[in-house]
Amino acid sequence: MNATVTWNMIGAELLKLRRNRGIMAFALFLTVGVTILYFGIGAIEHSSTPTSNGPIGGLRGFRDGLGALGLYFGMLAAVLIGSEAGTSDRSSGVFRDLVVTGRPRLALFAVRLPAAFIVTLAVTGLGYALALIGVFAFAGGTPTPSLSLILQGAGWLALADLAVVAFAVGIGSLTGSRAVTLTAVIGWVAIATNILLSVSFLGSLRDGLLTPALTQLAPLADLHRTVSMATGVAVIVTLAWIVIPALLGAWRTQTLDA
Amino acid sequence: MNEQSPVHMIHTRGLTKRYGARTAVDGVDLTVPRACAYGFLGHNGAGKTTVIRMLLGLTEADAGTMMISGRPVPEQRADVLARVGAIVEEPSFHKYLTGRENLQVAAAVRGPQAMARIGSTLDQVGLADRAKDRVGTYSQGMRQRLGVARCLLADPELLILDEPMNGLDPGGILELRQMIRGLVDEGRTVFLSSHLLDEVEKTCDAAAVIDHGRIVEAGPIGSLLRRAGTTELAIGCDEPGRASQLLSDYPAVAAVTQAADALRVTLAADDAAAEINALLVHAGIAVSRLEPVRQSLEQRFLELTSSLGGQS
Repeated sequence: MNATVTWNMIGAELLKLRRNRGIMAFALFLTVGVTILYFGIGAIEHSSTPTSNGPIGGLRGFRDGLGALGLYFGMLAAVLIGSEAGTSDRSSGVFRDLVVTGRPRLALFAVRLPAAFIVTLAVTGLGYALALIGVFAFAGGTPTPSLSLILQGAGWLALADLAVVAFAVGIGSLTGSRAVTLTAVIGWVAIATNILLSVSFLGSLRDGLLTPALTQLAPLADLHRTVSMATGVAVIVTLAWIVIPALLGAWRTQTLDA
Repeated sequence: MNEQSPVHMIHTRGLTKRYGARTAVDGVDLTVPRACAYGFLGHNGAGKTTVIRMLLGLTEADAGTMMISGRPVPEQRADVLARVGAIVEEPSFHKYLTGRENLQVAAAVRGPQAMARIGSTLDQVGLADRAKDRVGTYSQGMRQRLGVARCLLADPELLILDEPMNGLDPGGILELRQMIRGLVDEGRTVFLSSHLLDEVEKTCDAAAVIDHGRIVEAGPIGSLLRRAGTTELAIGCDEPGRASQLLSDYPAVAAVTQAADALRVTLAADDAAAEINALLVHAGIAVSRLEPVRQSLEQRFLELTSSLGGQS
């Protein structure tokens, strides 16, 4: 498969994702909308009662904005987009029509991940850009993040997007059902992970969870860190969360009866 | 279209597929010539779709060999399918995308040449003016045509259409029939499965009948019908009562019945039409019509499949 075909196939995946208005609207709400709400409400609160509500911008706003995009709302947007990318061909019945072109199934699977990553990066990047505007516009004289920290934050956000998108694309390709994928992935990252983190007797087993690994790699030390682990372990765990679901999805795409 | 090779378009030997204890396809030998419309007839569940799925590599055969355009599949599946367009069961689309966008998705998978064909295929199936509308707003017939357009992106030498007439109204069926004949006129081969026998008879040059996973008859449509034998004549004349009495006593006639529009004469010998005509004219009966009652493909199909059904 040459570069032109690869890029055209990724372009087709991008087309499917960006033309899905429901998914895109919800993903934009979770990233851009929530960021606007956060800084908007914070700015109003600060202007009405400055003594009890400090400035919403500055380093505090940067930490909260980055955390919201990387670990909460942006993560949900990544799950939505990744699930759609992983399941849309099968749920629409188009997968069979693509298989009969003779193009290898692995190629059909492989282009889903970069496309979903690009779309997720676009919506979370937009949210991040708006957050940075809020950080500086509403700093109110408090310290603001350096360029280096901003770039580290962008890199970390991209890593978090990649990990969650790969997880969702892999599970989506495994199950073929968007409803099942959304329930499983959101249930895992938003509910089960928090429950497991609070079970202290699990000890270092909790190091295998995605969210603590991502927080360990975050550029701000106080970003909701609940389990402490070595950076090397965090890198390996994050990579495992990218690779293992992707392998499962690839295996299922290769073997399923079309 | 590329220059055609002399080999058959589809050639299978001993093709077999089992699901547990059930044999869905049982030693199918199928030979489909090039540049024709070839019907694949069978009741629902007879094994038509399973054969198609094996040809396209959607499911593996348990035994037998398959060649498409002279090349073995699944060994050379990718190369072979690059010049095959197929609709299996029904064409599926992303309903929120337009017709053109759906073709873009398929063309991206096929390659740059397919991308360049999007406009011409939309023209060819008569959807150019609806190409910017979402597929969710298309009628069943339009989706069927868009499915054919997607097949044409490959500039296919072979189109495999599984029950393409399903769900179409009479106008849609006529359009599709004309489209298929047009594709054959371009030198392409169309292999279509159907249980709509009348449509296969009108659309196809040749056909195979599959029943209980086995091919029970195959060949040109005319030949399939001739094999049944022409044993009945319809005779229009000015004195049907006298003609009936006269023919009843004639040795070459096995039976005579009087229908509303003509006498139906069952012959004891296949070649007795001319002497019957002479007999009636000689007796002073004016014969306005004398024609063999052609057995329809439907009758032939039912004869073939019910006879096998009786054995199983």
